Amino acid sequence: MAAEGSRVVKSKSYYISRTVLYTFLVILAVITLFPIIYVVLGSFKENKELVAGGINILPKKFIIDNFVQAWNKANFAQYTLNSMIISTSVMGLMLIISTMAGYVFARRNFFLKEFLYGVMIIFMFINVGSISLRPLFELSVKLGINSSLFPVIIIAAGTGQATYIFLVRGYMSSVPKELDEAATIDGCTFFQIYYKIMLPVLKPVMASIALLSFRGAWNEYILPLVFTMTNEKLRPLTVGVVSLRNAGDGAAAWNVMFAGSTIAIVPILIVYILASKHFMGGLTAGAVKG
Amino acid sequence: MLNKKRTKSKGSNLVTWLMLSPAIFLLVVVSIYPFLWVFQYIMYDYNGFSKYFVGFDNIKRVFSDTLFWQSVIHTFEYAFLKLIFVMPLSLVTAVILSRKLRGSSLFRGIFFLPTIISSAVYCLIFYFIFAAYNGVLNSMLHTVGFIDKPIDWLGAPSTAMMAVVIVAIWGGFGNYMILFSSGLTSISEDVYESSKIDGANGVQTFFKITLPLLGPVLKVVLMLAITTALKDYQSIMVLTGGGPNNRTQVMFSYIYNLCFGNGTSELQIGYGAVLSVVAAIIVGIVTLIYLKISKKLDDIN
Repeated sequence: MAAEGSRVVKSKSYYISRTVLYTFLVILAVITLFPIIYVVLGSFKENKELVAGGINILPKKFIIDNFVQAWNKANFAQYTLNSMIISTSVMGLMLIISTMAGYVFARRNFFLKEFLYGVMIIFMFINVGSISLRPLFELSVKLGINSSLFPVIIIAAGTGQATYIFLVRGYMSSVPKELDEAATIDGCTFFQIYYKIMLPVLKPVMASIALLSFRGAWNEYILPLVFTMTNEKLRPLTVGVVSLRNAGDGAAAWNVMFAGSTIAIVPILIVYILASKHFMGGLTAGAVKG
Repeated sequence: MLNKKRTKSKGSNLVTWLMLSPAIFLLVVVSIYPFLWVFQYIMYDYNGFSKYFVGFDNIKRVFSDTLFWQSVIHTFEYAFLKLIFVMPLSLVTAVILSRKLRGSSLFRGIFFLPTIISSAVYCLIFYFIFAAYNGVLNSMLHTVGFIDKPIDWLGAPSTAMMAVVIVAIWGGFGNYMILFSSGLTSISEDVYESSKIDGANGVQTFFKITLPLLGPVLKVVLMLAITTALKDYQSIMVLTGGGPNNRTQVMFSYIYNLCFGNGTSELQIGYGAVLSVVAAIIVGIVTLIYLKISKKLDDIN
C-alpha cells in the first residue's frame, strides 16, 4: 500500500519535472533562434515596415527587392566573393599546414622540437590584442600586398594554426606506429607515409579542421576591418554589412543591412545544418586534447 | 653501413623541416614579429607616419590615464557579469540534455547555432533588436505593458552594459554547453544508477555526483571562459563602439581606438603599445591567480 502510494507520487513528480525541463529548454531555444529568424524574415520586409518597427515578425508583404538592392547596389556580390576567397583559402592552407606539422610533431624527434612546440603554445596565450595587426599592416604596405586579400588570409591562418596542429598531433597519437613501420618496410619515404597513409587516416580530424577554419575565417571581423579601411573592394561580408550602418544613412539602409546580414549568415548556416556533428566534435576534441 | 644511415637521417631531417616550414613561417610572421615590434615602440610617440622619442612618458601616462583604468574596470565588470550567467546556464543545460530526453540532440544543435555566426553579424542583429524607436524588444515590452516609453538600451549609460552582456551570453552559451556536454559523457552511467538506487533526487545528484566528477573539465572551461571574456572586444565595437560616454569601453577596445582610430583623434600607437603590454599582463595575472586558486581547491579536496 505504502509502496504503491510512493510510486504514484514518483510518477507524478516525474511528469512535473519533465514539463519543467521541457519548458526551460523550449524557452531557451526560442530565445536562441529569435534573432536569427527575426533578421532572416525581416530581410523580406519593405524598408518602411522595418523603420516603423512593431512586433510583427512576419513581413506584411514578402519582397526580395532588398537582396537585389544589396547584391547590385551595395557591393554584396563583391563582399560575398571576398568572404568565399578568404574562407576557402584559409581552410585549404590550414588543412595542408596543420596535417604536415602535426604529423611531424607526432612522429619525429628533432632538434628544438619541444622548444618549437612550447613557443606555439605560449603564443596561443600571450595576446597583445589588436595592436599586433599594426606591424602586419605596415609590413604588407611595404611589400605592396595590401591591395590584395593575401595578408588577411595569411594572418587568419597564422592565428588559427596552433589549435589545429594540436588537434592533428593528438589524433596522431591514437594511430598505431605499426602502420608507419609497415609502410617503411614497403619502401615508403617519410613524406609518402604522410601523403598516402596518414592523410586518409586523418580524414575525420580534417573534416573538423576544415569546418572550424572555414567558420573562423568566414566570421573574422576586426582583421579584415583593419586591412580594408581604405579599400572597400576587399571587404568580406562581415565588414561590409557593419560598415553600412556606420556609413551615416543608417536608418535608410535597414533593409539592405537585414538582407546583408542574412547573406552573411545563410551560407554558414547551411554548412552547419549539413555537418553539425563535425562542428561540435571538432570543437570538443580541440578543447580536450589541445 | 653507418655512412648510409647517416645520409638517410640527414635527408629525412631536411624533409622534417620542409614539412614544418609553413607552420614556422606563420608563427614567425604572424605571432613573433608583431610581439617584438610592440616593444620597439614603447618609448616613442608614433602616429603611423612619424615617430618621436619620448622616453618614459608613455609609461608615466598609464598611471594617470583614468579612462584606461575605467576601461579595465569595465572589462572585469563585463567578464564577471557574462560568466556569472553563462556558466551556470550552460552547465545546467548540458546536464539536462545529458539525461537522454527526447529531442536532446535537436536542442543541442539549436543552442550551438549562435557560435557559428560571426559575432560582428549577430551584434548587428542585436543592434536592430535593441534599437530605441523601431527595435522589436521595445515594441514587445510596450505591447505587454512593461514600459511606457522606449528604452535606449545601447545608448543610455544605465542599460548599455547590461545589453552588451545579454548579447555576450546569447553568443557564448552554446559553446560552453557543448564543452560541458563532452565532459559529461565521460561520467559513467553506473555512477548515476547507483545514486538513483541510493534515493538521490536530481538536484542532489547534480551537486554530489555530477559537479565533483566534472571538476577537471569545469576548471579548464572556466579558465577558457575567463580569458576569452577579458579579451573580448569585437562585439562591443559593433554594438556600442565603447559608448555611451565610454560606459562599455573595455581594455582592448580602448587600445584599438588608439592604434587604429575612432575617426576623431590622432593615432597614438606608442602609447597603445604600452597599454597592450599592460593589458596582456593583466590577463596573465588573472590567469595565474585563477590557476593558484583552483590548485588550492584541489589540495583541500
